[in-house]
Amino acid sequence: MQRDAITPFQGFGIGLRPPHYDAFLAAPQPVDFVEVISENFMVDGGRPLDVLARVRGQYPVALHGVSLNIGAVDGIDVGYVRRLRQLVDRVDPLWVSDHLCWTGVDGFNSHDLLPLPYSEEALAVVCTNIDRVQDILGRALLLENPSTYIAFPGMAMTEAAFLSAMCQATGCHLLLDVNNIYVSAINHGFDTAQWFVDLPWERVRQVHLAGHSQGEHMLIDTHDAPVPAAVWDLYARACEYMGDVATMIERDDHIPPLPELLAEVAAARTIAGGTACHRSTRAA
Amino acid sequence: MPPKHPRGMNLRDMQRSFSAHLQGADPLPAGATPEGMAVYTHAYRSQLKQCLRETFEKTRLWIGDAAFDEAADVYIRLHPPHAWTLDAYGDGFTAHLDHAWPRDPDVGELAWLDWTLRRAFAGPDQAPVAMAALVNIDWDQAVLTFAPTLRWRHVQSNVAAIWRAMDEDRIPSTSPTETTPPALRVWRHGLSTRFASMPVEEATCLDLATMGASFGEICIDLARRTGEEAATTVAGAMLGDWLRNGMVVAVA
Repeated sequence: MQRDAITPFQGFGIGLRPPHYDAFLAAPQPVDFVEVISENFMVDGGRPLDVLARVRGQYPVALHGVSLNIGAVDGIDVGYVRRLRQLVDRVDPLWVSDHLCWTGVDGFNSHDLLPLPYSEEALAVVCTNIDRVQDILGRALLLENPSTYIAFPGMAMTEAAFLSAMCQATGCHLLLDVNNIYVSAINHGFDTAQWFVDLPWERVRQVHLAGHSQGEHMLIDTHDAPVPAAVWDLYARACEYMGDVATMIERDDHIPPLPELLAEVAAARTIAGGTACHRSTRAA
Repeated sequence: MPPKHPRGMNLRDMQRSFSAHLQGADPLPAGATPEGMAVYTHAYRSQLKQCLRETFEKTRLWIGDAAFDEAADVYIRLHPPHAWTLDAYGDGFTAHLDHAWPRDPDVGELAWLDWTLRRAFAGPDQAPVAMAALVNIDWDQAVLTFAPTLRWRHVQSNVAAIWRAMDEDRIPSTSPTETTPPALRVWRHGLSTRFASMPVEEATCLDLATMGASFGEICIDLARRTGEEAATTVAGAMLGDWLRNGMVVAVA
């Protein structure tokens, strides 16, 4: 099946959410792209599609989904993916992403990003599903590393090794959520240094930066706080590995005034720029 | 034979066990810790409840947070979601409230209004017919096509007034007046969702129109119910109202 390659793109942006629609439609904002939640625009008509068309007229747009259910043992929901394809055709996005997770089985849909065991069986299921989705969309997918609260014991692979095998088998790319690495590493006590060594960095096309909160027993990926220092530090280390990759600030709850998010975008630019200088100095 | 996970559980078994636990079953999935599963269970329930709170915003204001959350908790337990979109999750909540509050029709009717406005918000686009295009129309034979977002129902409460009062931060009247219209319609004009009360005669006209009756046939039926003279006045005003408010998308 013919699949369109992902056009190279670097830049800095935000996840565009309803509280900031008016600001983006009223005046140019200092971002290079925006990301939107696909399902919010997989609708028949009305204001959502009107807003998206007007935003798309001014900015490159990435589509980020939450309902693909790529780890489903039942296989993909073809109706959902065809509807996603309609949105893709309408928007011509930079790329289409979703999460390495499953969301339901036997018709049940939890609407949550549930953890997969990193087993050979799960890898086979995920790769089969990715192949089908990429065939229907006619393009390669980006899959995001999840934040998890359960680590199934005795798994065949680490998360990074699973991601690497998945990319190799399907040709998909990665959306690297730096906060998710941090949250999962703290929750499960793994070493981010080894995670970094195992990751196929050449497959990373986008980065998410977000905040989290402290739950009763573990960190929770709540996307309701500024990017914390530990995640900025991890991002700086990731920049050393991956070079220039499109990066965005993701906030889904307690959404602050736009200038606060734009300040975080500027901070990401500074860190990535500094790392690029460092890389070029080392190369020279 | 599919490869097994630790403790002999394959991926399908794990996903079924996990899903069952989210929906209230006791056993933990193999390998899962209580602390970890608690995070997922909390996220599952709180997201569904938040979805209902946002979709049925005025209903929640009307009956209060405690009563609303109690109804939502029961609904979530009885109605695990199946659609790919959370937008569909509240589909049965109006009926659930009707059942839970049988002596308070205002509750279910407010929920219907919340739900129908939400559906109209992102419903299909179809441009209203332009007034300027309505020349040389044989109105006796004309068949009207309505906006695809248009819905209507009979009501027992002053639900439209209650909704508007809450939207304007006013204290709503709790009892219907003698002039409270017994029907309510919802639609979208351009990008703007709208609702309006209407007399029962108009609801009957909409019933006929959407079954394919011509405007002439609608007028004849109206005359049978209201008398010739009143029917002429009512039909003209009703048609003008439908056209001005973007409810009609085609006249053929």
